Amino acid sequence: MTVAGIFLALLAMIFVNVPIAVALAVCGVIGILVYEGTSGLISVALDMYGGATKFSLIAIPMFVLAGAIMNAAGITRRLIEFVSALIGFVRGGLAMVNVGVSLFFAEISGSAVADVAAMGSVMIPEMKKRGYSAPFAAAVTSSSASLAIIIPPSIPMILYGVTAGASIEQLFLAGVVPGLIGAAGLMGLCWWFARRYDLPVEAAFDTRRLRQTFVAALPTFALPVVILGGIFGGFVTATEAAGLAVVASIVVGLWYRETDLGELRRSMLDGAIQTAVVMLLVAASVLMGGFLTRAQIPQELADGLLALTQNRWLILAILNVFFLVIGFFLHSAAAIILVVPIVVPLIEAVGIDPVHFGLIVTLNLAIGQQTPPVASVLITACSIARANIWDVSKANIGFVGVLLLVLMLCTYVEAVPMTLVEWVYR
Amino acid sequence: MRQASRILGLVLEWFLILQMTVLTAVVVYAVVSRKLGASLSWYDEVAAIQLAWITYYGAALAALRRKHIGFDGVLLALPPRARAWGIAVAETLTIGFFLLLAWSGWRVLMVLEGMSLVSLTSVPVQLTQSVIPIGAALFILASLLSLPEYWRETMAGRSFEHPEINPDSDPDTTVETRP
Repeated sequence: MTVAGIFLALLAMIFVNVPIAVALAVCGVIGILVYEGTSGLISVALDMYGGATKFSLIAIPMFVLAGAIMNAAGITRRLIEFVSALIGFVRGGLAMVNVGVSLFFAEISGSAVADVAAMGSVMIPEMKKRGYSAPFAAAVTSSSASLAIIIPPSIPMILYGVTAGASIEQLFLAGVVPGLIGAAGLMGLCWWFARRYDLPVEAAFDTRRLRQTFVAALPTFALPVVILGGIFGGFVTATEAAGLAVVASIVVGLWYRETDLGELRRSMLDGAIQTAVVMLLVAASVLMGGFLTRAQIPQELADGLLALTQNRWLILAILNVFFLVIGFFLHSAAAIILVVPIVVPLIEAVGIDPVHFGLIVTLNLAIGQQTPPVASVLITACSIARANIWDVSKANIGFVGVLLLVLMLCTYVEAVPMTLVEWVYR
Repeated sequence: MRQASRILGLVLEWFLILQMTVLTAVVVYAVVSRKLGASLSWYDEVAAIQLAWITYYGAALAALRRKHIGFDGVLLALPPRARAWGIAVAETLTIGFFLLLAWSGWRVLMVLEGMSLVSLTSVPVQLTQSVIPIGAALFILASLLSLPEYWRETMAGRSFEHPEINPDSDPDTTVETRP
């Protein structure tokens, strides 16, 4: 009864737009009052401080900052020029360039919203100029940026890793193959649209232009080498790689001598706010976590579902539907922090690898970023394209379909995300 | 009110830029030191404390700009009277929680008197944990300063989360079925 009351209170608070972090914390406080009385209230400050000092999460502001510096230093523009020289000769090439650059940008920034803001502000106006419709330009940018959150580094994966106690490095590696398959799928769909609607070719393939743009973008390629090579080579942890990514971005920025200090300041602030918003959720989840543990909710949920079925594929299907629905209404960070602690005992009980499940959760939430009403990435793309959110959603149906196919593939063919992990780490 | 909001915003902005810069420097210095075989004993503790500082001072700035993650779809769909009540309840709960946090943070500071960090014994824990009562107080101040505009916009039926979306304002916005 108490538990149901607290969850109803949580829903009611979310519906009147109490920040989700505060709603979680208030529920945690009610839990303390129910189980310990007013004497337990002093622990509110201890939990809220302890939750904000989780060492592994230092990677979040670092990766956000690296992306911000990279964008302020003119790296995005050079990337676009190189990928354009590489695949722009194909019909509908600019849409494919969009997907390709997103893929690369994702290897540095770790944030889909940062990705869509940086990439979209260059690519969407350019696509509109070349005759692509605004909704289509926004849809391609948005879906490719969302796919990018499964490509390392990834802030949702860091959050999942800390919340579920899974290895962040292994989660990063699990995202590589599905990310590449998804990108190929999105590019294939762009090509199909291009043939059907006779979209423009950018320029004929020119080896000299390719060489020139490659040389200009060469310092940029050092960034994924530092980040991914450092992590997967076992030289540095994810947090350390994030710090090095910031330095590497600064060095590349100095090399290009283009760093816009005003833009850098704005980006640093956006990064700090983004970090604070996510970290406040994490801190509040510690308070809520105390209540969940005392009320034994995760265990009871696991027992209840296991009494219905013990088939892991069916349970994965149920969880997929659950996360897809949650993705409609919750921001990815909030969804991970709210739901993952509740379902972890269940996935452990049916023997699902937490790294495999982490990838499934991240992909679900990537799709959730594309589905209104709460769709941070899609909405950012819409605002850049100045397009109506429903028109963009309509143009986005095919791209979301590709993401759903990748989700099904990763859910039911475990080897797709896990072969590399098994090979490198186990 | 607008002037106070601007000043608080500027102070928080520069403090956060400083924190982000120092955190980066600490992380990089620690990596280099570890690779040179001289790991820093204070790194984990200090970096984690900085993260907490970015969290709470950043949360106050986010409150000033109303950037915390929420869901305003239902609230905006309510009739004006119910919406006004909804805003009042939400603001009371938010400010009430941060008052409780400030109070319990202050109580904890009293208990921690005389204690210092494990790895840096010259730094008192009272200093590092002061972020909780100060951050909570700043959050309340920021919420109150941003409330009038939030009230105005929400009562007018406009989303404060996505104010930039106004599809009617641009001639490029057309319903097209081809890409």
